[in-house]
Amino acid sequence: MADRRRINGPGGTTLPPLYDDDPLPLPTRLRLPNAVRSVYLKTGVTPSASGSAYLEVESRNGAPTTGMKLSCTVHGPRSLPRSAPFSPHMVLTTHVKYAPFATKSRRGYLRDASERDLSTHLETALRGVLIADRWPKSGVDVVVTIIEGEEARQFAVDQGSEEWDMMNVLSACITVAAAAVADAGIDCVDTVSGGVAALVSLSDDGKSEIVLDPVATEHEEILAACCVAYLPNRDEITNLWLKGEVSSTDPGLYRNLIARAVYASKGTSQAIVGSLNEAVTGV
Amino acid sequence: MPLDTSTYSLALLRVDGRRWNELRRLHAQIRIQAAADGSSYLEMGNTKVMCVLTGPSEPQQQQQGQRRGQATAGGGKDAAINVSIVVAGFASVDHKKRGRNDKRTQELELIIAKTFASVAHTHLFPHSSISLALHVLSADGSLLAALLNAATLALIDAGIPMSDYIAACTAGSTSSYAAADDSADPLLDLNTQEEQELPFITVATLGETDRVAVLNCESRVQVSRLEGMLAVAVDGCKEVKQLLDKAIKAKGAKMIREGAAEKSDAMAMDLDE
Amino acid sequence: MATTHTLLSPAELNYLHTSLSLRPPIRSDGRLPTQFRPLTAETGILQGTNGSACVTFSDGAEAIVGVKAEIEKTPDAQQSGDADEKKARGDWVEISVEIPSQRDDDAATVFLGEMLREALLGDGEFAKKLWINRRFHWRLHIDILLLSPPLSYPLPLLSLTTHLALLATRLPKLKSEGDEDPMFDDDWESSVFVYPREGASEGTRPPITLLVVTVGDNVIFDPTKEELAVAETALAVSVAEVRRERPRGGMEVDSKGRELKLLSIRTIDPPSRLTPPGVPNGTATTATEGKPAPSNLSSETPVAGVWKAPLGGTKFTVVDGIIQAVLEKGGVADEVLDGLDGVELA
Repeated sequence: MADRRRINGPGGTTLPPLYDDDPLPLPTRLRLPNAVRSVYLKTGVTPSASGSAYLEVESRNGAPTTGMKLSCTVHGPRSLPRSAPFSPHMVLTTHVKYAPFATKSRRGYLRDASERDLSTHLETALRGVLIADRWPKSGVDVVVTIIEGEEARQFAVDQGSEEWDMMNVLSACITVAAAAVADAGIDCVDTVSGGVAALVSLSDDGKSEIVLDPVATEHEEILAACCVAYLPNRDEITNLWLKGEVSSTDPGLYRNLIARAVYASKGTSQAIVGSLNEAVTGV
Repeated sequence: MPLDTSTYSLALLRVDGRRWNELRRLHAQIRIQAAADGSSYLEMGNTKVMCVLTGPSEPQQQQQGQRRGQATAGGGKDAAINVSIVVAGFASVDHKKRGRNDKRTQELELIIAKTFASVAHTHLFPHSSISLALHVLSADGSLLAALLNAATLALIDAGIPMSDYIAACTAGSTSSYAAADDSADPLLDLNTQEEQELPFITVATLGETDRVAVLNCESRVQVSRLEGMLAVAVDGCKEVKQLLDKAIKAKGAKMIREGAAEKSDAMAMDLDE
Repeated sequence: MATTHTLLSPAELNYLHTSLSLRPPIRSDGRLPTQFRPLTAETGILQGTNGSACVTFSDGAEAIVGVKAEIEKTPDAQQSGDADEKKARGDWVEISVEIPSQRDDDAATVFLGEMLREALLGDGEFAKKLWINRRFHWRLHIDILLLSPPLSYPLPLLSLTTHLALLATRLPKLKSEGDEDPMFDDDWESSVFVYPREGASEGTRPPITLLVVTVGDNVIFDPTKEELAVAETALAVSVAEVRRERPRGGMEVDSKGRELKLLSIRTIDPPSRLTPPGVPNGTATTATEGKPAPSNLSSETPVAGVWKAPLGGTKFTVVDGIIQAVLEKGGVADEVLDGLDGVELA
């Protein structure tokens, strides 16, 4: 079915430009395996939104880029448009968007597949937390903008490790969204927080170990990673995302991985509690 | 790959060995899917399409239909006919991904929606919608014709009243625009290779009548050739209609045979002979 | 997950939930908790593809998957390194999911596609199969078409169809050697399967993704739309079979089932969170009498026999229980893989 009326672009693929290798030395992990990077979290940064939060993750040692920066705004709860069908609950919509300048390769203004994927994950994580039946016939929009991404360097793209960074981004999205939802005063069963753990191979001997809050470029190879959205007071998981090769010989391995990710999320949940306290008491 | 027209004039055989007025093998099936209200599968040579029909049902939200970019015809007091065509990435020789907003696909959707809105008795189902999902599994020429035929079958399967069948096929002409040779023959039912080389029209008629429901021409063709092409295409449509009719009657006969058997054990025993 | 909107009343939901939380659970279609819907499968249905499959579930849900391969130049070809090292990239595989009446860039559709993709590429073995030499590789397009209107969450159907299509996928046999421009054998008969028939190496089978839900304390596989509407947790778990070289002569009869490895887990947002809550008897009257304080509380405490959409997350032990049930030797995953092994490959 050739198109005879319009002039379309070529159907085939084109090759992306090649860049020289980054001259920078590879970063290595200096933190302990069970240490997470420190974060800065502040709520109420956008006055026009009903709730907002800003999250910054500590930059790596000696890295030229600074750490990940995210902002989240919550609009609502507000009444649904007239044309929308009746809903006995609050309708939650989540948008995750990289700023065009957030990564080395420019992100377009339209959401791409990975951004849509992230927003579905975020929706799952938040939906379990909100007490949605207190707001029938209303909607709330949660918009997360990633101002600066985690891995901006060509190296990550070459390694194919950017997919692992998605987990860190998701974890940060969950944390910042939870703080913003709390700032908006929407009733939740608990404050949810994100945490990541990964199984990395140690370069010298064929062994592997579990680290918290992994940065893909700091490790030789990531075998598997797990991201959870965790409710610390209820001891429940609202979103679980695990991928990678989990060896079949050790059935306890995936259990360990999830448990470590939960442990990491407990750390971030303290940051949320701290910043919310600060917002309330004004100290 | 240019079509070697010289061989045609020698043996009067086309690239796939057909004569000028021969259709490709047409294989049609209806009621292929239990979950749908009406469904059909149609092969015209190597063009393979499938149609899944839902409805008449409560219309989906108006704006949603608009946003999805589906072609809609009718609506309001009559049933709206929504058509969406999905061309599978593996349908043609080279893999090509066509999005939902592909202009070419939208054009086809609109032609089909408008055609059936005029033929089906949509006034019997006010404020409802009939959704046709057409899947192109393999495309080898005469795509619009195959889609129209498949949609006809699915509508019949769903029991939606229509004034008659819509039977469609294509016709081309061996003469190119430049060559002013008088010996050009019209050809029936073109495949991709012929479609790329020759001017052609897609015609759909209302059943076996001479009434044309769709006439679509996207290539330049000499006016003098058009009449011959049209005549051949209308004859082809009549042939197609008979083949579609046969497929439906065969399925009907089969269902009566099987349906009678099913009825007796599903209902009471007094039906048992 | 707009496709799985159900029109069930709170009373119906409560009935479903109660019968599914019994031990053993009673499913509306009479299946066992670990039983799959019967399915019909066919492979090699499309001539124009490298591999294709069609699977129909007994409820009429049908999907077709076509796999097409194209040769592509590897961008960083000048990189030196030893020739045996196969540097493969995950983006050589493209998956597109088409669901009728849904946009192809709908978040839920993208989510489905990503889920199938990460299961396939989870162990990094699959991309290596597409490596031709250091300059060229295969690009694999996997097009997944759901033909029927979306009845239930289509993940298991799409996953099983993709599994079969990949099993049936063949690539032309390579004739050239080393890093020269690839030449292939024209004879389709001599083409090689992407997943070799007789093989004992790792990664010889494509993954399958199972949809598992919990209701009460029960773990239920392959839920229908109605069962999903009352589920407390829904997880998509991808597993693959590990085939290892068995010691020859030992004649170890494979009775324990196959060895499975976990590739990915994703939480699916269960549509039960969007179901309308029931109103307990009596609360409607107390609210009008001007006692606002207890009405707020009473909506929190569940009343037996009144449906309430689940809140909160899942306990770790429940998640663990689901994974255990999937990985269990001789369990559901085994049964499904056995069934799929029985499908004749065209």
